[in-house]
Amino acid sequence: MPDVLKVALIGNPNTGKSTLFNALSGLQSRVGNFPGVTVEKKIGRVQWGAATVELIDLPGTYSLAPRSLDEMVSVNVLLGKQADVGTPDAVICIVDASNLERNFYLLSQVLDIGLPTVLVMNMWDVAAERGQKIDVAALEARLGIPVVKCSAHKKTGVSEIQAAVQRAVAGGPRGVTQLFPAVFATETQLLAEKLAGWGHPHVAPYLLERLLLDVGGWLESHFGGQHAHDLFQYLQHARERLAAAGCKVPMIEARTRYAWARETLKGLVVQPANRAVTFSDRIDQWLTHRVVGLVSFFLIMLVVFLSLHTLSPPLQGVLEAGQGWLSSQVASVMGPGPLRSLINDGIIAGVGGVLVFLPQIIFLFLFIALLEDCGYMARAAFLMDKLMTKVGLSGKSFVPLMSSFACAIPGVMAARVIENRRDRMVTILVAPLMSCSARLPVYVLMTETFVPDVSWLGGLVSLKGLTLFFMTFFGAFVAIPVAWILKKTLFRGETPPFVMELPSYKWPSAWIVLRRVYDSAYSFVTRAGTLILAMSILIWAAGYFPGDHQESDRLQAQIEDLEKQPEPPADKLATLSAKQNELSGALLETSLLGRLGHAIEPAVIPLGWDWKIGVGVIASFPAREVIVATMGTIYSLGGDVDERNPDLRNTLKNSKWPDGRPVFTLPVAISIMVFFALCAQCASTLLVIKRETNSWGWALFTFVYMTGLAYVAALLVYQIGSRWA
Amino acid sequence: MDIVPLDCLQTGETGRIADIEGCAETVTRLAEIGLRNGALVRMVRTGSPCILALDNQRLSFRPEECTHVFVEVVPALA
Repeated sequence: MPDVLKVALIGNPNTGKSTLFNALSGLQSRVGNFPGVTVEKKIGRVQWGAATVELIDLPGTYSLAPRSLDEMVSVNVLLGKQADVGTPDAVICIVDASNLERNFYLLSQVLDIGLPTVLVMNMWDVAAERGQKIDVAALEARLGIPVVKCSAHKKTGVSEIQAAVQRAVAGGPRGVTQLFPAVFATETQLLAEKLAGWGHPHVAPYLLERLLLDVGGWLESHFGGQHAHDLFQYLQHARERLAAAGCKVPMIEARTRYAWARETLKGLVVQPANRAVTFSDRIDQWLTHRVVGLVSFFLIMLVVFLSLHTLSPPLQGVLEAGQGWLSSQVASVMGPGPLRSLINDGIIAGVGGVLVFLPQIIFLFLFIALLEDCGYMARAAFLMDKLMTKVGLSGKSFVPLMSSFACAIPGVMAARVIENRRDRMVTILVAPLMSCSARLPVYVLMTETFVPDVSWLGGLVSLKGLTLFFMTFFGAFVAIPVAWILKKTLFRGETPPFVMELPSYKWPSAWIVLRRVYDSAYSFVTRAGTLILAMSILIWAAGYFPGDHQESDRLQAQIEDLEKQPEPPADKLATLSAKQNELSGALLETSLLGRLGHAIEPAVIPLGWDWKIGVGVIASFPAREVIVATMGTIYSLGGDVDERNPDLRNTLKNSKWPDGRPVFTLPVAISIMVFFALCAQCASTLLVIKRETNSWGWALFTFVYMTGLAYVAALLVYQIGSRWA
Repeated sequence: MDIVPLDCLQTGETGRIADIEGCAETVTRLAEIGLRNGALVRMVRTGSPCILALDNQRLSFRPEECTHVFVEVVPALA
């Protein structure tokens, strides 16, 4: 037996695979990505008695017929061609005991690969409760592999699986039974010879099989190398020969494998006589109902969003307080100067700017994981399908777009569940238009300061509230035509049918939910955090250099000395602070950032903005949440203002053009909000898009189309609005 | 025995899939998830998408213009 036993875990979606993985690996797992693809790589290392076992969790799938590079990963792992994993010693195929026939489709493909295999019949308790009986010993004899019954969520059957895996490995390589007719074997042989002649000797038999079976599959277009065209031609002829011999590709596969499944299970499974209406069916009578279902759906969404907005702020407050405390600690040990400014205004403010979104992201992931694990998300997608088809997408795009209302990063990542490439691309490209939580501060600042205080119905409905509400959904309205146009132009093509399993409802498992939340939060902090930190430092440097800060540092030191006195003289402090703020405003104006603001002024004047707003907008391209703090710095109030700061509001109201006109009018405020609603001001999102689409091109495309849209929309709003006002 | 398009099944009616027309990739994908010739499906909720019961699983399904599923209506058991 090898030193480390490598065991791959594969199965259909909704068979309890994650639960079994956790039960087998004892929660010791590392999560990463397979290189070059968006497939999650989950590996658990665990001790099973004397054996060290490395457990590789493969993505849930109905079939091992690769249609994309992502789907190819599982095949490569099982064939031992994934260099970062190595060759598995055994594979565990997990099936739902209540749905053996369909699950056996995948099992028969796994058996074709030839690795020592263990069949795990999960959710045995549910099947038994329904009155289903399976003759396990006879099934084991027919299949020739160990078969284990298991209820992973109760952790029953886990030690039996460990023993069965060790038995299977000890049994050595397994012979592969040829399921397909003899003519198919002949064609496989011919293809192997052909490929050997083209410089591909020793192609795994399973790949030969796939090459013949998968019309338009990934292998067909990526295998041949310089002989790709010859291979394509050859496969067409081979399939014609197979069809003539009565093996029509691809139908032959479903027919053969399902016939095998039926034959294997024949006489071994006793189904309950009367088909019971299950608990899930009874819930679904309401939750998928045309009216009641939609109402429940909106209520659930309302609860999720209200909870996000009530649960996150206290935690965000704690994080902000911690950030303030840290800055003051730095200030107490270090005199004013470039290094302290870098630490406080660059690093601490930068990291804090990221961490402040963590509560929102954690809560959102918590709700999504809960709804997903209990089975509701599939129903939500079912209900939303009708609406999504109107713009050419399907119900599967709903969850990613909903997540994007908190943050586009998890939203873009959630689009992985959409197997159709065109739908997935369109979903990813419009997801950043959804109004994420980072846009809210701008909306609050502009609305509270410039929208007139009008209300109706005894204060229940206010113009300010309506504006906020409208701005929150503005991006989603714009996304409708954008998605529609993308589907009609760049991603034109036949929409595939929408088919999705509605898993049975169940109590969510705390471990699975918490683990998912932890993984998402961790990857957000590390991946997005490092970038925002780097950008914050760059923006800080652009705002700090070039400039002589000696005078400003001296004033700051004076202020801090005064503040240390038991009774600081208030009027002197105020004079010094005003002078200091004025000075830092002037320093910013002559800094790189300020010069840039002046340079782009001609471009932003048509939007009704002055150079200061221009600077704020430029500074917020890496991350839009920095806008309010930047405005504070620009308007000489110091960087530590927030959107509810009355000084900032007054300063904004009183700021004037050189000729004395006020800078901020209602059309300007709306033009700023519209710009922020549509603009791609989030480097992390663009990076995630790059990673998920595996191309800088799409990240650039998103940036260009969103920024262009934002500019045009802000221009229209201001030009039309200012003629009206 | 009547062979009708799938969407003609009424709620609670059962049909045996007689034929699935469509491009090869779609037909294969449907077969992988269990919608294949010979499979018994019961209409749980009509509409687009509809909900089908297939053995012990529930599927939501919306065919597209080019995909047609035909079923043979199975008379209700007495």
